[in-house]
Amino acid sequence: MENKIKWETEMKAAKKQSRFENKPVLLDFFNPG
Amino acid sequence: MDAVTYPDKNVIEFITKNIIPLRVPYNLEPLATDFTIKWTPTLVVLDKNGKEHYRTVGFLPPEEFIPSLLLGIAKVHFELDQFKDAISNLEKILKDYPKSGAAPEAVYLHGVSNFKTTHERKPLKQAYERLTKEYPQSEWAKRALPYRLL
Repeated sequence: MENKIKWETEMKAAKKQSRFENKPVLLDFFNPG
Repeated sequence: MDAVTYPDKNVIEFITKNIIPLRVPYNLEPLATDFTIKWTPTLVVLDKNGKEHYRTVGFLPPEEFIPSLLLGIAKVHFELDQFKDAISNLEKILKDYPKSGAAPEAVYLHGVSNFKTTHERKPLKQAYERLTKEYPQSEWAKRALPYRLL
């Protein structure tokens, strides 16, 4: 099992992966500080 | 989220198994405008075409984060008329996280999803009865009130 979350950083790549894995996308807007 | 929720092993396992994680700064355009972002963290669940089906704003600890995401995933399926998949995710909330903040809405949506599947009114009344019994103070108990007459 992964030991950390492997975040996508681009919408295009996330949607492509979403279609490939047939899973929805979690989009987290965060404050990098 | 970075200090408590995202390092949690159950959260990592859940995300890895169930959803594609995408993280962007709150002011990244055009996404910030497209999604009307005003506060962080804002978490949005999207379908494969990028359409929003669920959002939550503010910190969530792991025991609330996972059921909240399950509810978001269920809403994706519900709004795409994939009711069996919606029901499956809602039942995970009710089985594994019955005390979470997502649970009352899960009861409500479970009843509606079953109604959509069977076209019988009984699941709606069952949702009302469960909400009244288990979550009487929730807003979802109030929203289900008309179903008492079914």
